[in-house]
Amino acid sequence: MTRAVLITGGGGVGKTTIAAAVGVGAARAGHRTLVLTVDPARRLATALGLETLGNHPEPNPQLDGLFAAMLDSAASWDAIAYRHAPVEVADRLVTNPLFEAVASRFPSGQGYAASEEMAVHLESGEWDVVVVDTPPASGGIDFFAAPSRMRELVGGRLLRWLTGARLPGRRGLFNLAGRPALRLADALLGGPLLEQVAEFLFDLRTTYDGITAKAAAIDRHFATAAIVVVTTADPGPLREALRFHEVGIEPELVVFNRSLPDDWAATVDPLEDGRAAAALNENLARWALEVGRQEDARADFSGQVGTPMATVPWLADAPVDLDGLQAVLDGSEGLSLDALGV
Amino acid sequence: MLDRSLLLVSGKGGVGKSAVTAALSILAARRGRSVLAMSMVDDLGLATHLGVDRLGYAPQEVRPGLHALTIDRARALDEYIRLQLHAPRIAPLGPVARGLNALADTVPGIRDIITIGKALFEGGKGDWDIVIADAPPLGQLTSYLRAPVTIAGLVPVGRVRDQALRYEQELGDPHHTGLALVATPEELPVVETMEAYEQIAEFVDIASVITNRVLGPLGVSEDTLELVESLPHRQAGRLHRGLHAAQRRWIADLPDGPQVPYRFGIHTPGEVAALIADNLGTYL
Repeated sequence: MTRAVLITGGGGVGKTTIAAAVGVGAARAGHRTLVLTVDPARRLATALGLETLGNHPEPNPQLDGLFAAMLDSAASWDAIAYRHAPVEVADRLVTNPLFEAVASRFPSGQGYAASEEMAVHLESGEWDVVVVDTPPASGGIDFFAAPSRMRELVGGRLLRWLTGARLPGRRGLFNLAGRPALRLADALLGGPLLEQVAEFLFDLRTTYDGITAKAAAIDRHFATAAIVVVTTADPGPLREALRFHEVGIEPELVVFNRSLPDDWAATVDPLEDGRAAAALNENLARWALEVGRQEDARADFSGQVGTPMATVPWLADAPVDLDGLQAVLDGSEGLSLDALGV
Repeated sequence: MLDRSLLLVSGKGGVGKSAVTAALSILAARRGRSVLAMSMVDDLGLATHLGVDRLGYAPQEVRPGLHALTIDRARALDEYIRLQLHAPRIAPLGPVARGLNALADTVPGIRDIITIGKALFEGGKGDWDIVIADAPPLGQLTSYLRAPVTIAGLVPVGRVRDQALRYEQELGDPHHTGLALVATPEELPVVETMEAYEQIAEFVDIASVITNRVLGPLGVSEDTLELVESLPHRQAGRLHRGLHAAQRRWIADLPDGPQVPYRFGIHTPGEVAALIADNLGTYL
């Protein structure tokens, strides 16, 4: 049974680094591990052994058992078309500009592509552990809603509206007569665009059965995965982290990244060295304030949500090699393979 | 930066874009301008930094001279159809509206043009001295900026096309529209900002790059650094020095622009926005 670890959270909280660190830890513990990431910083990508964008897992040259793949959203959408539609329909879909637009602009588009990629690897039987660095849209929550949003899109509500048919299944139903809303849309958009949209939706509808089944499977993967929400003690990321709880997603662990040691607050006494130390004193007092703010934020969070918490220390420089990534786990309190059921 | 009808504010997610939008709005209002702050994204970032629980689609006065609103997909579509395209009003929750909404999600650029169109519309209608908009984050920004061109290319004739061409012209006019980019001095925000810079500049005048959360030097002389190494503070001192050195390297890669200091300790979002407004006031 493959263990899925989903690392989620908003932009800028250090999610990708945490995902890479968990991957390194799992591989070093002897698990055959895949890290599926979205858009790592260049130096982190190099540390993972990733040189090019592509969905194919690449082995890490320095660590046996560690593989990584960088999600290519466009390639994933082509794969989705060929997986769920007859080949001649898929050929039409992948060259249709509307399909490209849905892939890149449909809210949850990137999330759905990532979740299908995740499912492929979880079901392949090739991995002990799959670590997914989820897309950051809506603080990470979009990723979990993506399968049901996708089901709605291909479900044909718009197609029914455009064609007036209760059960859209065949072409040639598109008819402006007697449909004032369509006449309005036609006047606004002009020309044959609506017809193109309807044609596109007919093609997309052929993926309905496949995507419905796949979306249900993905939801089951979500239910059994270890979900890790990464946040910092800043109000924005904290608000996003709390939203998981509000929408009924229960994470395994909440990781407070960029944490400071609690004892800093206690060790700050003014230095007695006259003017030279004034700026220094001020800076040290500020860090003590920061420690207090972080403690308050964590206490406030645990007062609202019962999820276990972990802290990862604030590092001046982001880790750029395998030892640096392992040090993220080792330096943490509570972010361990055990805590993630790996 | 504040000398135009519309100022868009963008940056990589998590850099403090909403806080800076609120701060610039507060600053402009303090200087006696009539300001509309507008959220083009569906979250509470701008609202909390302006000190209110939520914003509606109708402008509300959040402090003297400063009104604020947030985009509402359905109502923006309705307004676009009625005011921009001079088409009849439709029932906002009726089947026509639902269908048009679904259509707007499918046809590339429609949703984007309505959102950017709302900002341009508010900027051009003369009710405000300036509109300052919390724009979508860097990763999505170009598809919004490109929306008028996309639509004009996709829709061969008709009112939507005409309106798109007008938007394209207003967006590219530096007297009308500007963009402030927000970055923090870290690897990804700096790299992504600079990678997107040229592409963004094709569509809109980049008025400024604002660097947020900048640390000052730890101490005034090398003596104090030796001093801190001998005391229990050494860990805090090392972190500060390490972060400061890393920040200097990343700042060197950004164009010159206002720098907003890192804020230590406990602040409400409203206090954060007021502090940033104070800092930016020394530059603008």
